[in-house]
This record gives sequence, C-alpha cells and structure tokens, in this order.
Amino acid sequence: MVDRLEKEYEGTVDILKMNVDAGGEAASLASRYRVQYVPTFVFVNADGTTADTIVGEAKESDLRDALDGLR
Amino acid sequence: MSRTKWIVLACTVALITGVFVVLASGGPTPGVVDGDQFARLQTDGARVLDVRTEAEFAMGHIPGAENVPLTRLAEESEGWDPSALIVLYCATGSRSAEAARMLSARGFESVHDLTGGIAAWDGPVEGPEQVAVPPEQPALTAVPVMYEFYTDW
Repeated sequence: MVDRLEKEYEGTVDILKMNVDAGGEAASLASRYRVQYVPTFVFVNADGTTADTIVGEAKESDLRDALDGLR
Repeated sequence: MSRTKWIVLACTVALITGVFVVLASGGPTPGVVDGDQFARLQTDGARVLDVRTEAEFAMGHIPGAENVPLTRLAEESEGWDPSALIVLYCATGSRSAEAARMLSARGFESVHDLTGGIAAWDGPVEGPEQVAVPPEQPALTAVPVMYEFYTDW
C-alpha cells in the first residue's frame, strides 16, 4: 500500500521508510518525532512542521487524507 | 433419575464450582489480560517481558519491563522457573500471543498476555531522552515528507 502511495505522490510528497532497527538516522528521527511503537506514520510539511501522526496499522484512506493535508 | 441425567448434573455442578473458584481466586487464569489486570500482576511480582525488538523497546516501554525479543525468547527462557508468574506484551498483541503460546508449550504454567499490546496501554511509559530540538524546524526539503517507521519483525 505504501509503495503504491509512493508512486502516486512522487514529486509531491517524499515517502520515506525508516527501519528503526537499523539505528542511525532512523533512530534519531524516531526520537525527534517521539515515536514509541511501530508502525507509526509521521507527516511533515515542507517547512518542517509536523502536520499529523498516525500510530499503528493505518487505513489507506487515512494515509491519503493526511498526505492531501500536507503543504 | 437416569444415569445420563446424573452425569449431566454432576458435570454442571463441577462447572459451576470451577467458575466460582476462579472468581474467588481474584486473579485471571493464564491467558489474555487487560490493563488493570496487567497492573495487578505487576504489583504481585510478575516478571514483565517486552518481546519487541531492542529498537522498539528503546523508543518506549512499560516501566519495569525486561526486553526479551521474541526471536530470542526460546533460547533465553531455558532454565527459567516454569512456575514463575510471567506477563508479556508487544506492540499490538500478536507477538506476545505467539510468545505466550511458546512458553505455555514449554511448560510455563502462569503466562499472561496484555491484550492490544503497548498500543492499547494507557499507563506510564518510559521512553528515551528526547532529542533537544525545537519543534519548529527551518525548511529542510522542497516537498513535504511522510515517514513510515517500522521494524524488521
């Protein structure tokens, strides 16, 4: 599902998968956005502000709503 | 009364008696527990095991929990007291259910599993020290971003 969204929103939104087990940047970002369990989806506007966070398994419609709300 | 009816009556009485014994014991039978029961078990001295990955545990966990990832549980539980009171949790309940089945199959007598996992837990959570960055960041990318945080499990 996320792969499909990635293709659809290419050029409009960067969709990045962060494996928290890998450490490094993923772990740093997880800490920054206060991610406590996975999966968690964090939506960040182009100006760096956090627009939305969805915790747990998400419905495609919810992800689309959040993606469409980004600016 | 016929023999069959006596047997049915005896079984019914035994069943009702069993229910009363469980209710009177004040504690859940081994199996799935809710947040309140989990907290009581912890107060009673249960060993609390977080069976998520180390990275997930580091992001936040229930205070007092030990991290024993599911992939290492079989090995690490060798030599544990099978009569020990154990309560398990994971992110949403699926891994802890598997862990509970594994431990029960290995002879552990009192294994409980938090329904819904830490996602459904509304008690305190111990997390990492937060990165000291301001909440508002200067523009970092030309387009907005969606991050999907996941693990290998």
